[in-house]
Amino acid sequence: MPAYTAPLRDMRFVLYELHKGDAVAALPGFEEMTRDLVEPVLEEAAKLASEVLQPLNASGDLEGCHFENGVVRTPKGFKEAYETFKEGGWTGIACDPAYGGQGLPTSVNMLVEEMMSSANLSFGMYPGLTHGAYKAIHAHGTEELKAIYLPKMVDGTWGGTMNLTEPHCGTDLGLMRTKAVPQEDGSYKITGTKIFISSGEHDLTENIIHLVLAKIPDGPKGIKGISLFVVPKFLVKEDGSLGARNGAACGAIEHKMGIKASSTCVMNFDEAKGWLIGEEHKGMRAMFTMMNAARQGVAVQGLGVAEAAYQGAVAYAKERLQGRSLSGAKYPDKPADPLIVHPDIRRMLLTMRANIEGARALGAWVSQALDFQTNSPDAQARQDAEDLVAILTPVLKAHFTDIGFETANLGVQIFGGHGYIRDHGMEQLVRDARITQIYEGANGIQALDLVGRKMPAHAGRLLRQFFHPVSEFIAAHQNDEQLGPFVQNLAKSFGRLQQATLHIARVGMGKPDEAGAASYDYLKLFGLVATAFMWARMVQVALPLAGTAEDHDGFYKAKIGTARFFFDRMLPESGARLSAILAGGKSMMEFEDSAF
Amino acid sequence: MAEIQKVAVIGESNIKRVAVIGSGVMGAGIAAHVANAGIPVVLLDIVPEGAANRNVIAEGAVAKLLKADPAAFMSKKAAKLVTTGNTEDNLDLLADCDWIVEAVIERLDIKQALYKKIDANRKKGSAVSSNTSTIPLAKLVEGQSDDFAKDFCITHFFNPPRYMRLLELVAGDKSRKDMLADLTRFCDYKLGKSVVPCKDRPGFIANRLGTLWIKAAVVEAFEQGVGVEEADAVMGKSFGFPKTGVFGLMDLVGLDLMPHVEASMVSLLPKADLYHSIAKDTPLLRKMIEDGYTGRKGKGGFYRLNREGGGKVKETISLKTGAYRPQVKADLEILKETKGDLKALLSSQDLAGRYAWKVMSRTLIYAATLAGEVSDDIASIDEAMRLGYAWTFGPFELIDKIGAAWFAEQAAKDGLEVPKFLKDTGDKTFYRIENGKREYLGLDQKYHTLARPEGVVMLADIKLTSQPLLKNGSAAVWDIGDGVACFEFTSKMNALDPDILGLIGKAVGLVAKQFKALVIYNEGSNFSAGANLGLAAFAANIAQWDLLEQMVSGGQDAYRALKYAPFPVVSAPSGLALGGGCEILLHSDAVQAHAESYIGLVECGVGLVPGWGGCKEMLNRWSTLGRLPKGPMPAVGKAFEIISTATVAKSAAEAKEYLFLRPTDGVTMNRYRLLADAKAKALELAQNYTPPEPPEYVLPGPSGTAGLEIVVDSFHRRGLATKHDVVVSGALARVLTGGEKADPTKKLSETDVLALERKEFMQLLKNPSTLARIETVLETGKPLRN
Repeated sequence: MPAYTAPLRDMRFVLYELHKGDAVAALPGFEEMTRDLVEPVLEEAAKLASEVLQPLNASGDLEGCHFENGVVRTPKGFKEAYETFKEGGWTGIACDPAYGGQGLPTSVNMLVEEMMSSANLSFGMYPGLTHGAYKAIHAHGTEELKAIYLPKMVDGTWGGTMNLTEPHCGTDLGLMRTKAVPQEDGSYKITGTKIFISSGEHDLTENIIHLVLAKIPDGPKGIKGISLFVVPKFLVKEDGSLGARNGAACGAIEHKMGIKASSTCVMNFDEAKGWLIGEEHKGMRAMFTMMNAARQGVAVQGLGVAEAAYQGAVAYAKERLQGRSLSGAKYPDKPADPLIVHPDIRRMLLTMRANIEGARALGAWVSQALDFQTNSPDAQARQDAEDLVAILTPVLKAHFTDIGFETANLGVQIFGGHGYIRDHGMEQLVRDARITQIYEGANGIQALDLVGRKMPAHAGRLLRQFFHPVSEFIAAHQNDEQLGPFVQNLAKSFGRLQQATLHIARVGMGKPDEAGAASYDYLKLFGLVATAFMWARMVQVALPLAGTAEDHDGFYKAKIGTARFFFDRMLPESGARLSAILAGGKSMMEFEDSAF
Repeated sequence: MAEIQKVAVIGESNIKRVAVIGSGVMGAGIAAHVANAGIPVVLLDIVPEGAANRNVIAEGAVAKLLKADPAAFMSKKAAKLVTTGNTEDNLDLLADCDWIVEAVIERLDIKQALYKKIDANRKKGSAVSSNTSTIPLAKLVEGQSDDFAKDFCITHFFNPPRYMRLLELVAGDKSRKDMLADLTRFCDYKLGKSVVPCKDRPGFIANRLGTLWIKAAVVEAFEQGVGVEEADAVMGKSFGFPKTGVFGLMDLVGLDLMPHVEASMVSLLPKADLYHSIAKDTPLLRKMIEDGYTGRKGKGGFYRLNREGGGKVKETISLKTGAYRPQVKADLEILKETKGDLKALLSSQDLAGRYAWKVMSRTLIYAATLAGEVSDDIASIDEAMRLGYAWTFGPFELIDKIGAAWFAEQAAKDGLEVPKFLKDTGDKTFYRIENGKREYLGLDQKYHTLARPEGVVMLADIKLTSQPLLKNGSAAVWDIGDGVACFEFTSKMNALDPDILGLIGKAVGLVAKQFKALVIYNEGSNFSAGANLGLAAFAANIAQWDLLEQMVSGGQDAYRALKYAPFPVVSAPSGLALGGGCEILLHSDAVQAHAESYIGLVECGVGLVPGWGGCKEMLNRWSTLGRLPKGPMPAVGKAFEIISTATVAKSAAEAKEYLFLRPTDGVTMNRYRLLADAKAKALELAQNYTPPEPPEYVLPGPSGTAGLEIVVDSFHRRGLATKHDVVVSGALARVLTGGEKADPTKKLSETDVLALERKEFMQLLKNPSTLARIETVLETGKPLRN
């Protein structure tokens, strides 16, 4: 198993040097979240990740979860690790202090989540799902429901889940069958089967609070008739203690490609008692309010796995002696040169690195926007932040999880045959990363969301929060002596993105299939250009410092070097993406169904 | 009656002075509209008992007209053409009138008595008509002189008379053909009406069918338990009915009107008429009227705005309980699913589909029974419903969409008696296009040419028989004969976009080589509401500044190419001509405007300044045609006042007051005659045409800017201008005063002012407050006052 050391140096860089970490601490509600408080949190998280969680990653994968008589047992060591996690207060770091949380900004929490994802993606699922359920109840539940459930979810005594998918409906939730029949006492009886429910049943917490989407009979058809309910595994008595078992049970667990230590359950609800969250039939709207944060969470999972793969690959490339450099031996005293001398190995490593650091910077920009969206006192600033989050969330979710999978894959490649066997843990990363491209809205759906909903919304207003800063940055710096060449490269790719955007907006209006055909290439183009913007800005920060006394560890110099690789070798993909978009969807849409 | 149309209606009418007796809503509205045509009109009403001012009723009516919204008069000048009086002292005024319109209370005895008086005072050979909607002509002329009967007919206007384009004309057996022809001529050319001859049957055409439609929609909503909002959604856009639907329409016209109309229908229509089986009593309606819920003019109607407790809650009455409840937007999946497929909608078995079928089957079957009964041609029936009830499609056009054979079959299954005409129609359609000509199905089951009134030229007809000379996604150029080409906008809502600007450039080249003149005209409901703001906002949001700059300069170039082309350009607007649409008119050599043209430079409303030459043209007009004091400032001030407040003229006549139109520009009252008039104007100008010389500008410069800014600041301080208004007005002031470097001793060229327009336009487009304004207008249709 590759060792994992949290990239704290880079995290500090994006949080405080590149973005406005100090400005986040100036927002009402985050007054205490100054750098000197955040710093130890990150360090403790780093320790937890490498010392507690990472050591369980391979064993958890090998052992998997056990299902017997409706009970799920997590792999060896998970329960103890969860206790440590819980005792350390990690379940509530980003929760409302009113319910016992520590109120950490999302931008900081995302970095913690990255570390958890690098160390042990499966483990992270349990508290991750609890946090999702916590958010839904916190945002839409009544005061009564909040008082019953939130404190114990925050302190980790109870877990949580999100129940959306059914056997016949995943992406298209309008087909949902689970029903919720109103009862005289104001509660509902929930009946139906949900599948793919992460953390649906396990042995880590005393109770599990299921959030279930269901239809109230005679409501509107389709997606507009879905309501959200809270359904506890054990009913909670008035004094807060646990009462009778509710009619919610795990029927089976799935045997999966990856994240094997995370229990993925078939949940059977048989007249289970539930309580409405939010308004009747407005369940999807309630879900939407959390979707951006949840999707960014998955994006960060992709980033986390990528980081783990990169660290493993770098270590191996430096150690493993194999062949000689094409330009003559670089380490003549050794029997062979290490892998790292080879151009193609360097190509792979720099691709991994440039993607990871670019994504970390981009992710931090958007997660800080989430903090402004929730806590800024200025209505316009909140709206602007919300717009930026809305437009970039699908890009982050799909692009980062693609990066996660591709980086894990490159990691295996660098290891060669040793990557393909289990011993080094590199193949597990590929398998674990794969799910992030699928759940929380498959990446193709993200592309449709970007092109079909976000792009045309409000005559393109959401786009403004990305396009205007980039345009202004280019105008301001394209002629800078040192930064200029980077910015000119950015400008070229930005022009391609503008051209593609206008093209899709025009063509897609009358021909939705054309917009759909262009959507994935467009999302990737967007991801590339957004990353390029981050890279240009990182260069802007690094240039004055590179090679100075401040740069004793060579961090800034490496930044500029990585940026150079990104602009020279990776950004040109923007041209190919534009060409594909402009070529249109005819070649795929006119292909006869029967010819497939 | 169809022969009326065959009488030559071309040329001047002999009617030079008109009298209207009865100054109620209809009489007063008719008088105002006669005045709109520039014809002097006498408006008389009775003397109320003991009144000190014996003309008080007619005078009060004119005062009301002046405040009417939408306006009854097209200009304040028109109001001066109305002479008020009373029916006791002023009947002598009738002696000078060529046409006397009676629009008094619907009581036969009163009308008959009045006719005697009219007959005694009128000039020989003058036309007399009644605006009755319920009393048969035959009854009206009973007991009148033979001469009176010869000079008499019914002219049935629709409310409001200025805006509703239908005029139903009912002739008696004795009515003189030449009198009818002259009246038709007058109503067509002068009043701009589409004159539809009808037979002397109760309700004539439009109300006969319209009343049944409304009644069926109301009764079926009660019977089937359909909510008001849902009923209105079904009886709305899907069928091309006004979006108010039926209940909303009743709120608009007044619920209390219905029982009168119903009672007269019930009393006049033969026993076997379908109306009787439809007209069931609706107690809730009666109660609403009794309680004062008569619609918008009363305490509210089916919809109301509940202001209790200082709030504003939109409410709707429940047809089941009669209680008001919060309004819910009808969200009917079936309407989205069927999306204009009327057959699918009518076959649908859900509540909305069944309701649609019940109402429409009866309405359309009734329409079919009326062919031959109220008019001998279905085209007249369709025209009456289009113009009298604002249906997009007439009933026979609707049946064509549904399929006559299928419809007849389903109606029979539903137990309705299918009239022979419809049965015989079988698989045929009521309309068809044969050899580029429109034809309609006659009662003889043969197709007949659908002729336009004489002298009418419609682009739609030309398009049937020819190919465009030039065409792209947003515009086309047509040969309309006699060496004149026509430039047509075809984009969505006729929004101006880069494609249109590009085609203007090409059209100028083509016309210069092959034609004598160009007419800019289209047959959309609006000439053009301006540039495609959605595209501009989108491009601005993605920081496509180069493209936007190209759009601005491209527009300036295209419009200047029109202005300085070696041939005359005549624009012919109808409806809205705003922003870039207005700027096209400003760059034309002449305008032939439909009287109902609403012209203005509204850019400031969306946080911009006119960028396609609107500023420079208005400056030039006010300094050359404005009759203002000397010096550079008065014209600047006038243009600033008009543009900064986003003024829209509410008629062609008003547009002349703002100089959006020149005093010499033409006005056409009848929408159908607009293209012919514009073409004639273009040919007239084409003789010895020389393009205009570019003007030079003397502008005040920074001192002038400062002066205007002081005014705006004081408006801002008084709360009359918003924060962003100040920014936008500042930009406009800089353009109109010539910018920082202008000085009244130096002349500026047209291109100098255009450069200023461009600069300020682009600057504003980058401003988030401007983008917020555009977004709000696009999404809500309402201005944002930020």
